[in-house]
Amino acid sequence: MIRLGLRLSIAGGRESLSRLILIVVAVAIGVGLLLATLAGLNAVTKQNARYAWLETGYRGSDASAGAQGRATTAGVEPVWWRLRADYFQGRQIGRVDVAATGPTSPTPPGIPALPAPGQFYASPKLVALLETNPAGELRDRYPGTLIGTLGAAALPSPDSLLIVIGHRPADLSHDPRARLERRISTTAPSRCNGDCAPGVGTNANGLVLILSVATAALLFPVLIFVGAATRLSASRREQRFAAMRLVGATSAQVATIATVESTLAAVIGVLIGFMLFLAMRPLIALIPFTGERFFTHDVVPSPVSLVVVAVGVPIASAVAARLALRRVAISPLGVARRVTPAPPTARRVVPLLAGIAELGYFAYIDNIGANTHTNTTLEAAVFLGGVLLVMSGLVIAGPWLTLLASRLVANRANRPAALLAARRLEDNPQAGFRAVSGVVLAIFVGTCAVGIITTINAPAVRSHEVGAYATGTLVDVLAGPDRLRTGTALPASVTTELDATPGVTGLAVIRDQPQPRPEIRPSGAPPGGHVFHAFQQVVSCAQLQHVPALGRCRAGATTAAIDPDYGGGFELRNHRTMAETTWPPSRLTSSRLDALPIDTVVVGTNSSSAAVEHARTVLDAAYPTAFAAETISEIHADQSRLLRAYQQLANVVILTSLPIAGVSLTVSIVGGLVERKRPFSLLRLAGTPLATLRRVIGLEAAAPLFITAAASIALAFLSAQLFLRAQLGESLRRPAPGYFLVIAAGLGAAMLVIASALPLLRRATGPDAARND
Amino acid sequence: MTARSPEHGSPGGELLQAHDLHLSFGATPALRGASVSVRQAEILAVMGPSGSGKSTLLHCLAGILTPAAGEVFFDGARLDTLPEAPRSALRRQYFGFVFQFGQLVPELTAEENIALPLLLNGLRRAAALTQAREWFARLDLEGLERRRSGELSGGEAQRVAVGRALVTRPRVLFADEPTGALDSLTSESVMDLLTTAARGAGTTIVLVTHEARVAAYADREVLVRDGAVTDRVIV
Repeated sequence: MIRLGLRLSIAGGRESLSRLILIVVAVAIGVGLLLATLAGLNAVTKQNARYAWLETGYRGSDASAGAQGRATTAGVEPVWWRLRADYFQGRQIGRVDVAATGPTSPTPPGIPALPAPGQFYASPKLVALLETNPAGELRDRYPGTLIGTLGAAALPSPDSLLIVIGHRPADLSHDPRARLERRISTTAPSRCNGDCAPGVGTNANGLVLILSVATAALLFPVLIFVGAATRLSASRREQRFAAMRLVGATSAQVATIATVESTLAAVIGVLIGFMLFLAMRPLIALIPFTGERFFTHDVVPSPVSLVVVAVGVPIASAVAARLALRRVAISPLGVARRVTPAPPTARRVVPLLAGIAELGYFAYIDNIGANTHTNTTLEAAVFLGGVLLVMSGLVIAGPWLTLLASRLVANRANRPAALLAARRLEDNPQAGFRAVSGVVLAIFVGTCAVGIITTINAPAVRSHEVGAYATGTLVDVLAGPDRLRTGTALPASVTTELDATPGVTGLAVIRDQPQPRPEIRPSGAPPGGHVFHAFQQVVSCAQLQHVPALGRCRAGATTAAIDPDYGGGFELRNHRTMAETTWPPSRLTSSRLDALPIDTVVVGTNSSSAAVEHARTVLDAAYPTAFAAETISEIHADQSRLLRAYQQLANVVILTSLPIAGVSLTVSIVGGLVERKRPFSLLRLAGTPLATLRRVIGLEAAAPLFITAAASIALAFLSAQLFLRAQLGESLRRPAPGYFLVIAAGLGAAMLVIASALPLLRRATGPDAARND
Repeated sequence: MTARSPEHGSPGGELLQAHDLHLSFGATPALRGASVSVRQAEILAVMGPSGSGKSTLLHCLAGILTPAAGEVFFDGARLDTLPEAPRSALRRQYFGFVFQFGQLVPELTAEENIALPLLLNGLRRAAALTQAREWFARLDLEGLERRRSGELSGGEAQRVAVGRALVTRPRVLFADEPTGALDSLTSESVMDLLTTAARGAGTTIVLVTHEARVAAYADREVLVRDGAVTDRVIV
């Protein structure tokens, strides 16, 4: 029977072969996409693991390494290690200063040995920057000679900017931030616990969030697609099985043949799908899931995923074929459905309404975010539960909404294409919606994230409005142990070199007020009323006037008490930005000011890259602090790095899931067309223009896609609004035009995919189809 | 593109003419020098055994297939040399079709199926449905307007197909084994309705059948054998 099944599939005539090819192609595309998704998810984890060596020196990585990690360091001479963050044209450079204390000092990955004093290794992209930019803007920050490039083992991405600089132990040991280490960390940032390198990789919560969102939004649509592909042409096969029953085949024999046919197509499809995936790998590597592209060799599914796909898809296909046969009764006289699928009812909308009601209750009635006694775990559970209820409610209500929309269109359609498409959708709304149900999740998750992130990031938008100040003002905060070495006087080289740098407009040195700070009693306040303390920092008014980003002094003042906030550098303070603020005068004279310890050095420039980078190089040489001087834009970008990564993920998810849905829709529609081509081909014989039939297919595919996208977007914005209202008391802000462009691009790509299948219609509905059916 | 109605009649008042048609499917010849002519308002039965080429002849006369050699005229104008688009428009505007089975769009209601050719010709929905509903009484289908094809019997579905073929008042109706899937009683009912409605509207019918009882409704009968036509005048 198995041999007969194989022969029927391969040598069963043109129709059998066409059917086999159709299923094979669909399964191959599905498996290719499935492997690409799994590989993408795995690549995110692998990329994050490549940050591990940068956790060296942080206790959080030691804790994760455990006793085994510590045991291997016996007999190893330590290395002086200091990690710093540097910047160039808005991009972060990871700088590691090292000094070996002996020949057995541990070596980080990607280099053969620790660089000797006066030598350094740099990543290929950084080498390119060093070679193409003036030395004063970048190269001068790194003492010594380039002796090689960092290998891929040390780089999270081909675009990573990293440098490892060798020093003498005597030089580095004086640095308060340098640590003496006996082992290079192998703990990925996601497994680091507690004291971890700031701004390095993605932590455990972030990684779980990224993987969960990507899995839900990408894997689900792809699995739906693979499922649809394996069920293609099922009813045509069932009709043939009736003929076999007529000549005496038993139900079991028919089931075996059906299983063989499905499995054969699935096996060939899986093989081609693997080849498709291998061909797509370089392209997948370019997709910046979290902001940086991948190495192609990182884009590989985990071994378990590979086995599950290779074995699971054919098995699932065989099981699906068996289950499909159980839903129909194949008698020798024909095929009958055992159960007619009931049309979806309005009850399906209940979970969706319940989810919205829950979020609405906590946003507007209970005000859970404002209740200080509510614990955050409960808050998280409440909101996650509500959002999940809305998401699943949308998927459950989808077929009913599709039925409603198609019925509405069908009862009003004046054009035959709209009438046919709407009636076909109304006939089986479950099938129409199934193909796009993955999009519901992708667009919902992406839009919700974009809505929340846009609102949280809203002050940054204002900072862009302020314009050049944010990108042209360099801030060097001398915090922590660095301040002990700073003293009260600015090195002469700093003022001399900055004065000589074209584009530098001024320099402001912000100093710490002596303790206790003076009291400020508001005028007219009763005795014993609230007393304010003056701001902790002070600045010279002569300097402040050359750095407009920080604000201004009151007229006639020589010094001002200042309370700068670089994180939200231009965040609104009483509806004014810092640049618009007039600071109160300080009681200190200019001469007393110069005796106070320096807290921050701020350099104003004309925002040209040359001026900013040259000034940064000067400050870096004077103050080799943990973080190099940053522009206000860079500080803000750093602080919203994770949010931007999530926004990037949301964009990727939307952009990729929509074309996947397009493929899924196309396959299901082509499959439906192949199964029921006779009425279409007879319509064409009777003179119906091919363009009309194309419009039917186009509308049938596009309508659920656009309706679903619109419903998902509306509900995601509503959920985001309820979340923001409850948690932050904020109202949702309109996303940037980029979001709408991403949605439009995704829908456009999906329509292109759908359009690519339309030429099949000419062949499927030609005279031969009607004659031979 | 809209088909141009042939303006001049052909010699002898013949509406459809085919001369020396040849057509093969791969290595299998289907038509070998077939010639036939059909007069205005005539009902012509094309008979012949299975595989003789009678359906292929019908498809060539209707402009569905293009013969490899030979000529087809409709109302004196050459049909077989027209490009696909005007041929489609011609079929939509001047021809009607009834096939053996499976011609109704299963997702549409019976009235929408009948209204479909009118919608395709650009009529508004309300007007198309009004015209379609007029056919239900004439076809003895009252009360079945909102049914779908799966909810109709074979005879009912075929009568809906007849209504759909005639609703545009075509000049020629091509019927390919229109009763092939029906029992004899239902066949008679369908043929009665088909021929009565066609005669009332002055519609020419080309009827392909292998059943003598069905052919008896025709004014004239031709026999197709091995891809060639033999005239057998019965009236």
